[in-house]
Amino acid sequence: MATTKVRRTAPAYGSTLYDWVTTTDHKKIGILYIINSFVFFFIGGLLAIGVRTELAMPGLQFVTDQTYNEMFTMHATFMIFLFVIPMLAGFGNYVVPLQIGAPDMAFPRINAMSFWMLPLAGVLLLLGFITGGTAAAGWTSYAPLSLDRPLASTGSGQDLWIVALALIGTSSILGAINFLVTIFKMRAPGMTLFRMPIMVWTMLVTSVLVLMATPVITSALIMLFIDRNYGGSFFDPARGGDSILYQNIFWFYSHPAVYIMVLPAMGMISEILPVFSRKPLFGYKAFIFATAGIGALGFSVWAHHMFTTGAVYLPFFSVMTFLISVPTGVKMFNWIATMWRGQLVLKTPLLFAIGFLSMFLIGGLNGAFSASVPVDFALHDTYWVVAHLHYVLFGGSVFGIMGGFYYWFPKMTGKMMNETVGKAHFVLMFIGFNLTFFPMHELGLAGMPRRIADYSSTAGWNDLNLLATVGGFTIAASMLPFLWNVFLSLRSGAPAGDDPWEGNTLEWATSSPPPAYNFDRLPEIRSERPLFDLRHGRTDER
Amino acid sequence: MSSSQRSGPSQTATFALAIGAALVIGTLIAIVAGSDLLKAGQAFVTGLYPPIAVTDQGAQIRDLYTIVFLISAAIFLLVEGLIIWTVVRYRRKPGDDTLPAQTHGNKIAEIVWTVVPTLIVIFLFVISWQTLNVVDTHSAEPQQRIRAVAGQFQWQFDYLSADGKTILYTQLVPTGEDGGMVVPAGRTVQLTLVSQDVIHAFYVPQFLFKRDVVPGRVNSFEFKVSDKEAGQTFRGQCAELCGVGHRIMLFEVHALTGAEFDTWLAAKVAIPNATPPPTPSGEAGPTINVTASGVKFEQTTISAPAGKHFRIEFENKDAGTPHDVAIREGSATGKEVFKGELFNGVAKKTYDVPALPAGTYAFVCTVHPTMTGTLTVQ
Repeated sequence: MATTKVRRTAPAYGSTLYDWVTTTDHKKIGILYIINSFVFFFIGGLLAIGVRTELAMPGLQFVTDQTYNEMFTMHATFMIFLFVIPMLAGFGNYVVPLQIGAPDMAFPRINAMSFWMLPLAGVLLLLGFITGGTAAAGWTSYAPLSLDRPLASTGSGQDLWIVALALIGTSSILGAINFLVTIFKMRAPGMTLFRMPIMVWTMLVTSVLVLMATPVITSALIMLFIDRNYGGSFFDPARGGDSILYQNIFWFYSHPAVYIMVLPAMGMISEILPVFSRKPLFGYKAFIFATAGIGALGFSVWAHHMFTTGAVYLPFFSVMTFLISVPTGVKMFNWIATMWRGQLVLKTPLLFAIGFLSMFLIGGLNGAFSASVPVDFALHDTYWVVAHLHYVLFGGSVFGIMGGFYYWFPKMTGKMMNETVGKAHFVLMFIGFNLTFFPMHELGLAGMPRRIADYSSTAGWNDLNLLATVGGFTIAASMLPFLWNVFLSLRSGAPAGDDPWEGNTLEWATSSPPPAYNFDRLPEIRSERPLFDLRHGRTDER
Repeated sequence: MSSSQRSGPSQTATFALAIGAALVIGTLIAIVAGSDLLKAGQAFVTGLYPPIAVTDQGAQIRDLYTIVFLISAAIFLLVEGLIIWTVVRYRRKPGDDTLPAQTHGNKIAEIVWTVVPTLIVIFLFVISWQTLNVVDTHSAEPQQRIRAVAGQFQWQFDYLSADGKTILYTQLVPTGEDGGMVVPAGRTVQLTLVSQDVIHAFYVPQFLFKRDVVPGRVNSFEFKVSDKEAGQTFRGQCAELCGVGHRIMLFEVHALTGAEFDTWLAAKVAIPNATPPPTPSGEAGPTINVTASGVKFEQTTISAPAGKHFRIEFENKDAGTPHDVAIREGSATGKEVFKGELFNGVAKKTYDVPALPAGTYAFVCTVHPTMTGTLTVQ
C-alpha cells in the first residue's frame, strides 16, 4: 500500500531520547507504555520467583516474614497496576487510532501525561524497598491492618503505595476519557460503531468501567491516607470507623478492574482468531452485547470477594456472580465457532490466543465454585483463589497480551518475529503456567491459606508446593526465548511489509511502522473488515 | 504471506514438543523421586476433592462441591475437547489457498449457547442457596457456646455459660495436648468470633468452612462435629493476612465425646482453686523484672547467674493481649529451655526458671515473634 511520509521538522534538541520523552504521537506513547509495562512485569516476576522459592520447601529459608509479606504485596501491585492495566492501555493507545482510521488520540498531550505518571508511580513504589520497607498488607491493603499498627509493619511504604496508586488511577482516568473521545469523535468516514473492530469495542467498554470505578478506589485511598496520617477514623473500628466499609469501596473498583484487565485481552484475541482462521468473528454483534453485558454486570458482583465477612447479602451477589459467567460463556463459544471450519494458520499469535481460550476456560469454571457461597466458605483465601485469579489474569490476560505482542510487533517495528523461538516461548510458558497454578487448586482444597511465608511439613502440602515452584521457574525460563526473540527480531528480523498476516483491520492498510499521523489514504469502510473486503469483496449483508 | 521462516510447521512442532516432553519428564522425575508414580497420580486425582468433612455442615458443603465439580468437569471436557478438536481438524493444509466459508453467525446456535448456560448457572445458584440455608443457620438454644478471640497472632477460646453471658473458662493456649479448642462431638456448638485488633479468619479445612473475625463486629456460626470423629484433632489457622506473624496463628480443634467434654470442662473450671506448684529447691538466684508494653519488651538485655534457679517477674501491660516469656538457647529460633505461662494483660505473674548453664540465650514472647531480647547467663 502506497503511503507518503509526512515531512517532519527536525526536533528541537536533535536526540532520539528527547524525541521519545517529548513525543505526543500515540504510537510512540503506546510503545512507551508497553516497554514500561514489561519492565514492571519483570520486577513483579522476580518477586513472584522470590515467593515461590521460599515456598518450595517447608521452613523459612530465604526471607523473613516481613520481607515475604512485602514480596507478595508488591508482586500483585506491580502486576495489576503497572503491568496488566497499562500494558492493555498501551496496546489500546497504539492500535485504537489506527483501527478507526484516526491520525492520533483526541488529546495527544494528555495522552503523554497519562503515560509519564506511570514510571513516576513505579519509582514511588520501588522507593519503599530503600526507605525501610514497602507496603506489606497485601495488594488489597485491608484496614485496619494497613493502618498504622505495631504488628502490621506497614511503615512509610504503605503511604508511598497509596500515593502511587492514586497517581496510576489518575493516569487511567485521563486515558479513559481520551479513549472515549477518540472513539466517539475521531472515527474515519464509514467507520460506524458497528463496524468498529472488537479491540476498539473492548477498549470502549473498558474505558467506561475505568471512568466509573477508578474515582471510587481513589476515594478509598484518600480516606486510608487520612486515617494513617491525619488521625481520621474512616476504617478503624477502635475509633468508630468500619473496616468492612473499606472492603466495599475497594472491591467496587477492584472487581470491575478484573474486567478492565481482561476485556482488552479478549479484544486482542478477537482480532487474532479471525485473521488466523481466515474467517470473520462469529456473532460480531452478540460479542459486542456480551462485552457490554459483562461491563454492566461487573458493577454488581463486587461483594463476592467478601462472602466470609458475614456482612454481605449473600444471595444477591451469588446470583449476579453466576449470571456474569453467561456473557463470558457466549464469547467462548463465539471464539470457537470462529475457528470452526476455518483454515487455522498456527503461527505464534494464534497459539497464544488458543492458550487464552483453553486457560481462561479453567479460570471461568473454577470461578463458579467461588460463586457458590457455601463452597466459597471452604475455598476463600486459600490457594484455590490464587489458582483461580492466575487462570484469569495470567491464563487469560497475559496469554492475550503475548498474542497481541506477536501479532502487532511487525506493525510496530516493521520486522517479523522468529516463529521457532516464538513457539518455544509459547510451549514453555504454557507448561510452566499449568505446573505452577494447577496444583494450587489442590493446595487450596487441602487447606493452605494464601499469604503465608511458611507451612508445616506435616500438613501434606510439600509435593504440590515443590511442583508449583518448578513451574514458576519454568515460566521464568520462558522469558529467555521471548527476550531473545525480541532482540533477534529487532536486529535482523525479516521485513514485515504493510500486512504480513492478511489482516482485516485498518492498521494493516498503512506502512509498518506507520508514519506520523498514520494514513495517507484510507480504503472504503463498509464492514468491520475493510481490508478483507478490499481483497475478497464483501461477504455479509450488514 | 511474508514470513522469515524457513523451517516448516512439522519441524517447529517437533522442536516445541521436545521441549515440552523434556520438561514434563524432568518435572515428574523431580517430584516422584523416591515415591512411586501411580501413587502420586492417584494423590493428584483425589486432591481435586476437598478433605472428608468432619462436621454435618461441612458434609453438606462437600455434597454441593460434588455437584459443582461434576458440572464443571463436564463443561471443561466438552469445551476443551471442542477447542482441541477444532484446532487439530481445521489446520490450514500447506498450499491450500481456498477461502473457507465466511460464516458471520447463526442465530439458533447463539440462542442455544446463551440459554443453556443461563439455565445451568441458575440451577447452581438455587442448589447453593438451599445449602447455604442449611449450613449457615443459628439455633436459639445451641448446646454449647464458645467464643474465639483472635489477636495478633494468637487464638484464645472462651467457654461460655448456656445463656452466653458468663465466661466459665478461657483456653489461652491454642495448640497441643493441653491446649486447643476442645469441642463436644455430636452437639451443636455456636462459635462467636471477636477480634482484638485487625481482621482474622477462623478456618478449619476439615470443616470446609471459614468465617472472618472482624474488629468492631461480632460474627458467629454453628457447627456439629459428627459423633464418629470424637477423639480426633483437626488443624486450623488464620486465613486472613493479619501481619508478620500470620503464618504462626495456628490452632487445633480437639473433638471429645459429650461425656468426656463435660468432665474436661468441669475440671478446667475447677483449676483456679488448685494449689500453686512448689518452689524449686536449691540455691535461689535473684528476681528479674521483665515488662511487656506496646507489643515490645521494655528490657532488651537481662542477665542471670549461671547454675542457680531464678525468678522472672513478668508484667504484661497490654490490655487484652496475651504475652509470655520463653527462653531459648543462642537465638530466638534456638531450642526452648523454658516457657512461662501465657496470660492476658494487664496482669503480672512470677515465673520460676530452672538453673541454666552459662551462655547467651534469647527471651521471646511465643505469641509475638517480633518480641525478643537477650538473656546473658554468667
